[in-house]
Amino acid sequence: MAAGIRRHRNHFIFITLALLAGSIVAATSAAVQAAETPRRGGVLLAVIGADPPSLDPHQESTFATIQLVAPLYSTLLQVDPYSYPKIIGDAATEWKISPDGLTYTFKIRQGIKFHDGSTLTAADVKATYDKIAFPPQGVRSVRKGSYTPIKSIEAPDASTVVFKLKFPSASLMNNLASPWNVIYPKKYLDTDPNYFKTNVVGSGPFKFKNYTRGATFEGERNPDYFVKDRPYLDGYKFFISPETTVRAAAIRSGRAYIEFRDLPGAEVEAIKKQLGDKIAVQQVSATGWWGISVNNSIKPFNDARVRRALTLGLDRYTAGRVLLPLTGLRDVGPLMRPGTEWALPPDELEKFPGFGKDMEKNRAEAKRLLAEAGYPNGLKVVLKNRNVKLPYQDFAVFVIQEWKKIGVEAENRPLETATWFSDGRDTGNFEAIISPGVEFMDDPDVMLRRYVFGDPGNWGRFNDPALEDLFARQARSLDPAERKKLVFEMQRRVLENAYYLPGLWWTRRVVHWAKVKNYVAPPNHYSNQKLQDVWLSED
Amino acid sequence: MATTALTHVRASAALAPRLTLGEETLKFIRRKPLGAAGAIIILALMAVAAFAEVLAPYDPYHADYGLQFARPSAEHWFGTDEFGRDLMTRIMYGARIALFVGFAASFAGCTIGGLLGVVSAYAGGKLDLLLERLMDILLAFPQLILALAIASILGPAVQNVVIAIAIPIIPRAARVVRATALSVKENVYVEAVNALGASRPRVVFQHIVPNVVAPYIIILTAQLGGAILAEAALSYLGLGSAEPTPSWGLMLSGSALSYAEKAPWLAVFPGIAISLGVFGFNLFGDSLRDALDPKLRKG
Repeated sequence: MAAGIRRHRNHFIFITLALLAGSIVAATSAAVQAAETPRRGGVLLAVIGADPPSLDPHQESTFATIQLVAPLYSTLLQVDPYSYPKIIGDAATEWKISPDGLTYTFKIRQGIKFHDGSTLTAADVKATYDKIAFPPQGVRSVRKGSYTPIKSIEAPDASTVVFKLKFPSASLMNNLASPWNVIYPKKYLDTDPNYFKTNVVGSGPFKFKNYTRGATFEGERNPDYFVKDRPYLDGYKFFISPETTVRAAAIRSGRAYIEFRDLPGAEVEAIKKQLGDKIAVQQVSATGWWGISVNNSIKPFNDARVRRALTLGLDRYTAGRVLLPLTGLRDVGPLMRPGTEWALPPDELEKFPGFGKDMEKNRAEAKRLLAEAGYPNGLKVVLKNRNVKLPYQDFAVFVIQEWKKIGVEAENRPLETATWFSDGRDTGNFEAIISPGVEFMDDPDVMLRRYVFGDPGNWGRFNDPALEDLFARQARSLDPAERKKLVFEMQRRVLENAYYLPGLWWTRRVVHWAKVKNYVAPPNHYSNQKLQDVWLSED
Repeated sequence: MATTALTHVRASAALAPRLTLGEETLKFIRRKPLGAAGAIIILALMAVAAFAEVLAPYDPYHADYGLQFARPSAEHWFGTDEFGRDLMTRIMYGARIALFVGFAASFAGCTIGGLLGVVSAYAGGKLDLLLERLMDILLAFPQLILALAIASILGPAVQNVVIAIAIPIIPRAARVVRATALSVKENVYVEAVNALGASRPRVVFQHIVPNVVAPYIIILTAQLGGAILAEAALSYLGLGSAEPTPSWGLMLSGSALSYAEKAPWLAVFPGIAISLGVFGFNLFGDSLRDALDPKLRKG
């Protein structure tokens, strides 16, 4: 027992030292970068793996939307680009939370101009958040579930926004810093709340220039940006290609300077080997995972035995070893990021279906459950997937090969991004579908809302009132210990019933030319995309 | 006139006695060694495809995670891929998809095209005009571009690939067969059966179709190589079969593209398989055309 404690203590000391060392290195690197004199001019050339399903981040949850349009908009708050998960202002200069936690008052910066010349006021912030928290009929708001504490939003004057809450929320500040909540001019929302699916009118450091589907997306410097002397760049241009090798080749040849999402290990090695010090790689443990949604509303996936069999059939520990060099998928974990205070501890995790390390036993149990559910000879499943290789396709291949071992024949069906979203999120037209959960922050409200029925993130369409209750209670709980208990309970319930089949947590490898300065890769590919402080040391 | 022709045919028959199948084959090999080599390649591929379960050393889906990117060795002659799957096994199974798509698409395209060509030639008039303009429209698109467009509409699946490749073959087969059918239609024996009051289907299927079989076979074999290449191209572009199905084009687009530098065998062997298949069908098709085309036939 004592030895066990000593071992744990040694681990703890080692992890603390490692984190400390990492922080020092990161801080030093950031400090060194900050110490350099920024150079003005140049166009940041980037590559991206997909076209956006629409240009409205309120309605989308893909990097293909946010990376392209984030530099064009402002948000109320933001995650500090240099210090995740610290929250700083963007359009808001200051804020105050009432002692009872039911009123949040924000002061809006004066003189912010939209790209059409109009002034950004509190009315625009209110209209934006009304659309997110209380979307009108026919308008999708994919993160609406994170804003359930909000009772009303008021704009008593042009520079003040007040959020009135139904109950105190531990997560509201985090959610108000979401990079997805870009501020739109009210007048366009008044005429058409879906206007921004195909149009851009922001107040960000860059103005929209051009978008050619399947080819390029461009922004140019906004000379009227409210932050003095920003941005440094004259513009940015994304080249769009779903082919990983094309994107890697673009980086290697210098036709692009950065891929903000990820590249496979082999490509990263090859690029580094060829370009040496000209290339920088930032590897970060991501706030996201890849897994499988099974359609709980149709047979046979409405049978918990079938779902448990499917999750038991996945050898996650081997997957972490095999898929890391190919895709960056590495860590076996629960529904909150492993290593964070919210994650179920590993020794408890191993007790849930599919997380035990004895795969022979797991597979035998999976076959038994399938037979008991009426499928003694296995079953056939169509596994829908996004036609993006990294990590979707490789992850699917691993899953299909694993399921084969328990008699489940899965057919991989890759779909174009918009169809994949439509089938998975909007219509539920699938049996099983590869669905990731990458979020901008390690926050239970942000990460767990997808397990509540009716949330757009609940692709599996499971309806468990107990989950709804647990989610609501944790969202209301201001006592960290009590909240943690509820968050743990919610994870247990999802894993025990295999409502969703988590795969692996992701590690990002952001590759860029060393001449791209002042970009610190956050643990997700959604935040820190405004590019206002990024500069190029040479063209 | 008729008496003279009959005498001529009898005289030719007397000069050139009918050869058995074996003798014809030997004659073909002697006269067209390259064509024979093509036939051997095709037969070998067909044997590999048919007996893959027996010949392949491993299961094509079996992943040995301890052997990712293994170099070619005695255990894995062509090496392994990024999941530790035996590449030779997957190439052997890949021959099934290549040949299935190649044969199915060429057969469907040439048969539909051939029938349309015969009907068009025999009917003439407005129907001929309509069908020919339709063929013109299809011919206006390059073969692979049209296949790409159709495959992207239908979505990635093997049966869709067959349809996507077959449709662009239709006008090509229709044109060739129509030209021959037009000349056959003018023959006296066709006029004779028409005069005797034979029904249109009887004229077409009993008297014209048998006489356009030679150009049909030529265009069929000529399209086979192209169809295999098109299947590889569509899979390469993500419009064919999907992982983990063992498909030659998919092998080139997936692992080979990403890891060719680290594991060149991932690109080399599927590339050789595609080249060999196309080469075999093209050699055989060319020689068959030479053998069956009276204008090119020697002696």
